[in-house]
This record gives sequence, structure tokens and C-alpha cells, in this order.
Amino acid sequence: MKDLNKKSKPRKKVYIVISSMILFCILQISLNGFAESTLQSPNLNTYWIWKMLGRLHPMAVHFPVALILLATLLEFFTFKNFNSTLRPGIKILIATGAIAACISAIMGLMLSDEGGYEKELISIHQWVGMATACLTCTTWILLNNLLKKNNWQLIKVYRLLLLISGLGIIVAGHFGAAMSHGKDYISSTIPWSSDYDGTTKRNFDLSAFNNDTIKLTKQQSIELNIQVRAILAHNCYKCHGAEKIKGDLRLDRRDMIFKGGENGPVVIPGDAVASDLFRRISLPSSHKDAMPSKGKKLAEGDIELIKFWIQKGAPWPDSSEKNIFRVAPLAPRNPALPPIVNGLANPIDRWTSQYFTKNKIAWPKLVDDKTFFKRVSLDIIGLLPNPEDLVKFTKDTRPNKRDLWIKKLLDQQDDYTTHWLSFWNDALRNDYTGTGYITGGRHNITDWLYKSLKSNKPYDQFVKELINPNDASKGFIEGIKWRGVVNASQRTEMQAAQNVTQIFLGLNLKCASCHNSFISDWKLSDAYAFANIFADSSLEINRCDKPTGKYTGTRMLWSALGTIDSAAPRKERQAQLALMMVQASNGRFYRTLVNRLWAQLMGRGLIEPVDLMDNEPWNQDLLDWMAFHFQENKSDIKELLYLITSSATYQLPSVSFKDANKIIAQQYQFTGMLRKRMTAEQFADAAATIIGPLFSDSMLMYHPAFSKTLNSIHPTFARAALVSNNPFLIALGRPTRETVATSRESQSNLLQALELTNGERFNSMIKKGAQTWKLKYVTTDRIIKEIYVRALGREAQLSEYQIAKKLLGDQPTKESIEDLFWAILLLPEFQIIY
Amino acid sequence: MSSHWDRREFLKKSSAATMAAMAAGAPLAGFLAGCNEAKIKSTADTVILLWMAGGMAHTDTFDPKKYTPFTKGMKANDVLSTFKSVPTALDDIYFSEGLSAIGKVLDKGTVIRSYVAADMGHILHSRHQYHWHTCYKPPQSVLAPHIGSWISNQLGPANKVIPAFIDIGQRFSLGEGEELKAFHTAGFLGNEFGPFIIPDPSAGLESVKPPIGMNMSRFEKRNQLYNELMSKGPMGEMGSDYQKESMRRSMEQAYMLLKSPEATAFDLSKEPKESYDIYNTGKFGLGCLMAKRLTEKGARFISVTTEYEPFKNWDTHDNGHTRLADMKKQIDGPIAQLIKDLDQSGHLDRTLIILASEFSRDMMVEGRPDLKVQEQVDQPDIIQEIKNYGMHRHFTDGCSMLMFGGGIKKGNVYGKTADERPCKTIEKPIKIEQIHQTIYHALGIPQDTHYLVEKRPFYTTPDGLGKAAMDLFS
Repeated sequence: MKDLNKKSKPRKKVYIVISSMILFCILQISLNGFAESTLQSPNLNTYWIWKMLGRLHPMAVHFPVALILLATLLEFFTFKNFNSTLRPGIKILIATGAIAACISAIMGLMLSDEGGYEKELISIHQWVGMATACLTCTTWILLNNLLKKNNWQLIKVYRLLLLISGLGIIVAGHFGAAMSHGKDYISSTIPWSSDYDGTTKRNFDLSAFNNDTIKLTKQQSIELNIQVRAILAHNCYKCHGAEKIKGDLRLDRRDMIFKGGENGPVVIPGDAVASDLFRRISLPSSHKDAMPSKGKKLAEGDIELIKFWIQKGAPWPDSSEKNIFRVAPLAPRNPALPPIVNGLANPIDRWTSQYFTKNKIAWPKLVDDKTFFKRVSLDIIGLLPNPEDLVKFTKDTRPNKRDLWIKKLLDQQDDYTTHWLSFWNDALRNDYTGTGYITGGRHNITDWLYKSLKSNKPYDQFVKELINPNDASKGFIEGIKWRGVVNASQRTEMQAAQNVTQIFLGLNLKCASCHNSFISDWKLSDAYAFANIFADSSLEINRCDKPTGKYTGTRMLWSALGTIDSAAPRKERQAQLALMMVQASNGRFYRTLVNRLWAQLMGRGLIEPVDLMDNEPWNQDLLDWMAFHFQENKSDIKELLYLITSSATYQLPSVSFKDANKIIAQQYQFTGMLRKRMTAEQFADAAATIIGPLFSDSMLMYHPAFSKTLNSIHPTFARAALVSNNPFLIALGRPTRETVATSRESQSNLLQALELTNGERFNSMIKKGAQTWKLKYVTTDRIIKEIYVRALGREAQLSEYQIAKKLLGDQPTKESIEDLFWAILLLPEFQIIY
Repeated sequence: MSSHWDRREFLKKSSAATMAAMAAGAPLAGFLAGCNEAKIKSTADTVILLWMAGGMAHTDTFDPKKYTPFTKGMKANDVLSTFKSVPTALDDIYFSEGLSAIGKVLDKGTVIRSYVAADMGHILHSRHQYHWHTCYKPPQSVLAPHIGSWISNQLGPANKVIPAFIDIGQRFSLGEGEELKAFHTAGFLGNEFGPFIIPDPSAGLESVKPPIGMNMSRFEKRNQLYNELMSKGPMGEMGSDYQKESMRRSMEQAYMLLKSPEATAFDLSKEPKESYDIYNTGKFGLGCLMAKRLTEKGARFISVTTEYEPFKNWDTHDNGHTRLADMKKQIDGPIAQLIKDLDQSGHLDRTLIILASEFSRDMMVEGRPDLKVQEQVDQPDIIQEIKNYGMHRHFTDGCSMLMFGGGIKKGNVYGKTADERPCKTIEKPIKIEQIHQTIYHALGIPQDTHYLVEKRPFYTTPDGLGKAAMDLFS
């Protein structure tokens, strides 16, 4: 019994230690929650001492590492004699190592509280670390026991445990390092590793290869070749490519580059110095032989890379078809929603919460009612809220009043439609006047567009009717036909190909419709094969407007989306394309629209420019999720607008930049809606709402109510979207719609300021309005109050009141009212959507 | 040279921000532009384009051939010119009757007789005009900027308060107005560089003075009110951002312009009567007068046009002879006077004046002799009526141009057309790319000037291939 007791005692200790460790882990996990995010979410309320101790983890952790590893090493020298003279030392090492491991583990848990680490890595590190700490403790206890009574069986167990501890500490250490330095910190330096960064960065790490005897792997050859071709594409193809073959030299194809030009071969594999290509790009740009003869000298790194490539035998694998340019995936994606944080349940907000956490951004307070209501009114119906509604809204006490009022706005069908008409007119380059109409070479689709928007036609149906049109919607696909002969890349079939891809897929096919693109992998033949869908008979391929005598089939750009029957008549082919475009598996199609609407509401797309959907979004998950659910939700545009505008994300305070470049900069970080300037139409309609119409009813080019009077529609003035383009609207940024336009200028300029300062249309509107107001509101105080409330949604501050009062005096004159109107309407506060 | 650098600096400051701000598809200044070429020494600061809209027949204006007076029953094919030739300041060089005043100042410039317009099939004036003004054939997948917009974009205004690109004399409410609008634009460069349009020069002042019915003191007060309200408003505290900044800046510019003394350059009533009367041959003549006054105050690019209206002015589908007599009266005096006045005031040295038309006319050939296109005018082989006597078909293979000042050779004839029908270019053909680059060269704008639009380079001339005709320069 005694023996048994003695034996069981240390075991008990072991159990206690191990179970307490496990308990601690469980506790820790339940605190952090099993978030599905890929990144650790931070706990912001950590007491500073814990935080400090946590941050000591990376330093403290080296003690147990060194101690345990040393103990393991020494243990090997005691194999022959367990009670060697090293034993007391090992005992001390293991004891201190075990204590240090436990302390480090606890510190590590404190550090993990701070978040910001990759979830997957941290959980492995955490588990291995803690397990190792437990193991070392067990080892230590076991050793203590053994020293009292040698037991060969237990000695083996002890040694095994120590060895495992040593391995564990190495593994934990590895993952710890991966977190602080990056996964590929070490492997990236190993040339044959897939993480090797010599090929992915601009400068191939040439130092590792200076020895000629090292042979490149196949993968390396491909990477190197792609690097070189990227350099050639950007610097040389313009003159030595498919379009222009200066000096009989083409550098864009394997056979051509090795054939050389009129002066013989330019690349002698293995001998850069003897290669003319290398000689010429190395010359100072003033030298007559220097290349590129037009444009900038190549960067040193690029020259070196080309030299290296030639030295290595100028590898150009036959199979090397890997893309140089980023290509966004086509398929839809439905990422799992992150957990709800702080009760923000709107899916968009769940993504934003995750994004903010990751980027260490605190949720700002949402905008007040007035700011929100002006913003959402202008965004959904393009009109300023009227003061009565504004009061009703601010006094509304229902907790979900913002959601309810958004729905109300979305239900104002004609207002909503008229506002969004401008966006779609720009995109589909539809206008009441413009080139082409004069010779019957253009058709207006306003009636179809208006009715489609008003009935909230599902987006897939909407696009189907544009691509495979009826008589009312054919104007889009038929394009603009000028009299005479046009450039081959601008015939109407090619216009259709370009416009369909740009608007619905965010893809630039304009380059490829003239020659193989330099900025993507699209080829001339791809563009023609796509344009053939819209052609009555197959088009002869023209390269840079020169006929080639070649023809290509009829193809969709991505074979994954299906095949077009080239033998079918045009109408049939368009119908096939229409179905192909809107199919659920065409994720790009839905992402493109979602990104456009996001940009309209938020001032900046998730991807910019909105027409280049191969660019990287600032939040892929959010974009993918919205696009997926938009498609699932019957492509309901109003639903999507509701989802976005009802989110806290949309209701964040607006932001702007001093430097406009920051908006499209790569390191753009989302913190809220980007301040927008009112569009020409919003401004004109806002002025009309407050003061009086800018356009007479007779200027209406499309009448939504199909009657001669305006009384039947709301509002009762001719909205700017429904009149033909004119100098006033042009000055304020309404595009001519000769080409597709998907964004408006966000800055003002002199011509615009002149139009607003002394332009006849604006000034006569102000004059008429002042006359009316003088009779209607009479007193100075009333006039000041009304204009501030109507235009800015607030009362004048004392200082503003005093300025206005000084102007108007006690008996406001018509002229003074005019001047007040003018000054208020031109205030940035009025013109910018905050 | 120093002025050149100032302009570059100005550009960087004034337009870089604007360009970048146009979020999607924002054009970026081509990073190659100007890097590689030796700096061009400019020979001109100002360009005046005298635009003969509608197709000006070369054999009846600056390149006369054998004159055949009108007789009933004459053979149409025999008629090369419907006017006599008159001497110019140059020996053995003749202009068509009615253009002798310009002929007398030819010793100050060059006549180009070999401009060849593009082949664009069934002819539409506005397409050729688009091509002439942008150097690109319509339609284009991006909006091509007018040459005036490129110049405005590259050099900025010569005088801060005078818009850099002024377009005088064209209304857009007439036939083909939409087509004209399509190239009277800064296109992708952005509205900031668009034309400041003065459809009627006699009302030009109204474009640059306070609104009608507002005196200067009220105008100043109104502006002060605006500034006060802006600074006192709650948004004044929201810090500056680029949009607000651009609004503030543009309003300030507009205010400066509208109250500046230079605005009087737009006021033709300030011109001495004697001079005014010489210019006053109609809208075009007064446009020349305004161009002169603006040039003296510092203008960058001014276009003065004989207004384009289908079948009016130079667009002679009938009565070519009689109507041309009238057109010449409109242009001869004012153009000659413009050249003399600018010469006298010393501005001609740095002002490049160009006279041009989208194409020429011939009695028989529509298009180019080697590539005829669908005819638009019925021309009887035997002429019985005066209305059929004239150059009524659109001819693209030999058009005349004039260039004065701005470093252009004086007393020079460039190129030649055949003396017999078809009177097409037989020496030194010159095309629009060369004309544009010649103008850019005079202004010191390098050949590789371009922007990246939707990632594609868009050059001042297609693919940046336009070469200046260096032998036009002295």
C-alpha cells in the first residue's frame, strides 16, 4: 500500500497539473469564442499590465526553449548512466524550463488577447505551446520521482516525454515565428520552395544564382520567363509586337524573339554580353542604338533580370501560358458571414465589423437624423427632403424608423426612377439628343428604361432585354452609327462587344478590339469572336484598322460560361449570350453591378475603377457575399439598395481627403462613405425644389405620366434627368453620352463656376424665385429661416443669421433675396452630400 | 525658357488634382510624356484658329486654277475656278479674286496647298470637322479632346483671368449641332479644359461680366456674402477636403475673371470705331476682332469660325460662285487686319494663326479622285444656270490652309496641287497628324504627350506618330 501510495502521489500531481492546464485552455477558448474569421478579433478592454506582460511573451518564450532543448541534449549524454554527474544540472534545467514554459504560455495567452494574428496559426501555436508546457511539467515531476527511486520503466517514459517536449517546443516556436514574421519567412529564402519570393517580387533574387552551375527548376524557368515577358510587354511590345514590327523584330513570341530582327539574332542564349537585346537596353538613352528608342530607359533591376534570363539560356517554355495580368475569378462565392458584433446584424455590418477589427478601426458613431435623411433622399430619389418630411422623420420615435423611411423612399416610384435614369443613361449612353440620330443611326431607349426601372425589373431580366433586345430596347446594342466609313474597332458590332463587357462585366475589351491587348490577356481574336455574336455575318478581323483576311468563330469570352452556336441566326446568338451572361455561375456579372451600386451610394467602389473588375477589391468577402445574395434574391435592385442604405456601414459619418489621389490609391482603407458632390441633376432638382424650376415643362423630352400636364406626377417640375442636355447641365458634369460613362467628375472647375455665377439659366431662376419669396414670406426673419431649413435642413446659426440680416435689412428687397439664394446654393454645405 | 517652366509648374499644381479626382477610369498623365525628348523651344504662346466651316474650295480661294467665266451651256468639266486670280505679296503667287487683302500680307506667312483630308466614306461635314479638331476619326471609344483642350491642359491659360480655350462664333442649336458638340469638348481631359463658348462675339462681354442687371458693387458684395457665409457655416470647421477646395478655387477664379479689367478685351465696343468698322463684316469679322483683343491681353487658344450650318456659308451645295463672293467679303478684310494688327503690336511673332477647313470642294469629284464616294450633289455636265456654277462636291485630296506668325516661314508656299482636274495634291501632301504636331511643336508640346485612359495611352496625335512639318518653320 505504501508503495502504491508513493507511486500514486506523483501521478495525482500530474493529473492536477494537466487537468488545470486543460481547464485553462477551455476557459480561454470560451472567452475568445470560436470565431470563424480568419483573423483574431481583439479584446479592447485589456488591463495594461496584462497587455504589457503579454507583449513580453516573444522574449520570455526563449527561456523555456533554450532550457528544455539544452536539457534534452544533455539527457543524451546520460544514456549510459542515468545518475551521471550531469543529472543535477538537467534537473535544474528541466525545473526552470517547466516553470518558464508555464509562465510563457500564460503570457502568450495574454498576447493573443490583442488580436491581429492569423487565426489558424495562433490556434496551432497556442495548443502546441500549452501542451508542451504541460508536458515539461509532467517531465519535471516524473524526474523528481525517479530521483527518489530508480525505475527503468519510468526512466524510459521520462526520456520519451522530455524528447517530445523538446520537439513540441520546436514546433510551437516555429508557428510563433510564422506569426510574427510571416509563414514564408524562412521558406521564402529557399529557392526551390514554392514560397520563394525571388520570382514574385520585382527583383528576382539573382544572388542565389550567380553560380552558373545551378540549374533552374522548371517552375523557376516559367516564373523567370513571365517576369521577362512582363518587362518586354510594358517597354517593347509597342514597337516590337504584333502591331508594329520595327526592324523586323518581334519580342512577343518565342519563335520571333529567337529569330531576331533585320540585324540578326538579338538573344544569344547563355551569352548576355553578346546579345544585342541586352546591349541595347543597357546603353545610355542618348546613344543612337539605345532601346527603348521611345520612352523611358529600363530600370536597373529589369535590365539585370533580362541579363540573368539570357545567361540562364533564355528559357521560354512552350507551355508557358500563365497570365501576367491579374484575372479575377469568374465564379460566384458565398463566404460564411462573420459573427454579429455589438448587435449589428445587417450582413454588410457583420463584414464591416470584421474589417474594422482587422484594421484596428473603432466603429464611429452613426450620423444624425438630418444628415442621414438628406443623404438617403438624394441617393435613392435624387431629391432633397422637404422640410415637412424632415420634421416628421426626426420626430419619428420608432426604433427602426430609418429602415421604414428608406422603404418609403424606394416606394416613391417615379422619383426613384427619374433619379436612377441618369445613372443608367450614362452607362448605356442613352440620351434624347446626340450624334447618330441625324442619319437614323441611333435609337433612344428611354421609354423601355423608365418602365424597367419603375417596375424594378430584376437585373437579370433587365440585361437580357438589353442584350437580346425588343424594339424598345434595341438602341443599346445597335450602338451609334455615323454616316460614312468608321474604324473597324468602332463598327456597331464591336461597340456592342465593348459596351456589353464594360458595363456588365467590368472588362475592357477596347484594346483587344484593335490589337492583342497590352493590358490584359485578351486577344484580338477574342474580341472578334465575341463581337460576332452581334454580327449578321462573321466579321473579318482587322488589326489596327487594317484587314487581315482572317476570320474567327463566335465565342463567349469565357468558355466556362457556355458556347454560342455560330450557325444560329443573330437573334438566336444574342438570346444565347443573354442567358449565359445572367446565369448564376457568372459571378463576375453580379459582382460588377453590386460594385457599381455600392460606388453610387458610398462614393467609391469596393473595386476601383468600377470598369476594371479584375482589380482587387478592398473587401473581397463583402463583395462576393453581396453579389451572391443579390443573385439569389432574384436580382432585386431595390432590395440591394435597401440592404446597403439600411446598414450602419452606410450610415457612418462621411469622409473625404485633402488629396484626391488617396481615393484611388492602392492602400485605400474604408472608414465610411466618401463625400459626394451633387450631380448636375441632383443640384438642378434641389434648386428647383427650394426656389423654382430651372427647366420649363416644354423642355421635357420624356414624359413619365404620358399626359400633357405635369400635375399628375411628383414633383411638379421638369426634373433635369428628363430634359435634353444643355450648357448648364454640361457645365455641372452631365456627360455627352457619346460613350459609356460610369462616373461623374467630382470636382468643380472654372467653366462651371462661371455658369453658376453669371449663367443666364441659373440667375433667371433665382430672380423669379426671389420675387415669389418676397411676396410669400415677406419678413427678413422668415426668409432666413425658410432658406436655411429648406436648403440646408437646419436653422441659421447666430453668426449666419447676423450676416444674412445685415444683407436683407428690415425690408428685404428682391435683389437682396436673390443674393442670399445665390450664396446659399453655392455653399459647399449645400452642394456636397455629407 | 523660364516661362516654359512656369507653365509646367502651373500645370502640376492646377490640374494634377483634378485629373486624379475623376475616380473611375481616371486618366493619368502619361509618365513617359516629355521624359525622353529634348525640350522643344517654343515659338508661339498663342494659337488662333480661323475655321472655314463647311468645306472651302481651294481652287476658288487660295489655290486658283484656270478661270472660266460663266456662260450658259458651258461644260462643267472645263471649270476649274469660277474667279479670276489676283496677285499676292509674293511673285507669281496668286489668290482667288476677293482675297487680295490677305494676299497682300502673305509675305508674313505661308500658304499650304497640299492638305489631304481623311478618307471616311460617305461624307458628313461634322465627321471631318471632328477629325480635324481632335485628330481622331469618330466615333471613338473614349471621348477625344479638342486640340484647344489639349493645349489648355498642357499649357494652362496665358493670362489667369482669360479662359485658356475660347470658341467664338458657333451655335449648337443648328443642324448637326449634336455632332459639333461631340468634338467641342475636352473629352476625357475633363470639363476644366473644355471650350469657353461665345456663340456671338458682339454679345461676348455678357459671358464675362456680372449677371445682367447687376452692377459691380453689388457683384462684389454678393461674393463677400458668399465667403462670409462659407467661413461661418458649421461645415467650415469640417476641415478642408479636395471637393470643397476645388469649389472654393473655381468660384474665386470666376469672380476674378468677371471683375477683372482684362474682361474689357471681350468688350468690342471699347474698340476705336475706325478699327471696329474694318473688322465688322459680320459675326466672323467681329470674332477676329475679339481674337485680336484677347491675344493682346494674353490668350492661349482661340477658335473663330464662320458658323457651320448645313447648306449655309462655306457649305455650298449650290450657287457656289455667288455665295463664295459673299464669304470672301466676310473674311478677307478682318483676317488681313488681324495679321497686320498683331504684327504691329508685336504679338504676331508669338502667335500662330491658322486658317483651315475640313476639306475642299470640286465641281466634279466627290471624295478623292482615287477613291470616290457617294455623290451628294447633282451636277449637270452642261451648265445652264448660275446656281450650278460653283464647287459643290466634297473634295478631300487637295485643300488650302494658311499659317502666319509663331515661328512659321514668311512668304512661303508649301505643297502643290495639279493645274488640271482633278486638282489634287501632287507635292508635299500633309495630313492632320502633321498639322496638329506642327501646332504642338510651335507651342513646345512634345510629340509623346499622352494620358493613360482606362490604362491605354491616348496621345495628342494617334499613337503619338504625328510629326511636325519642320520645313514650315523658319
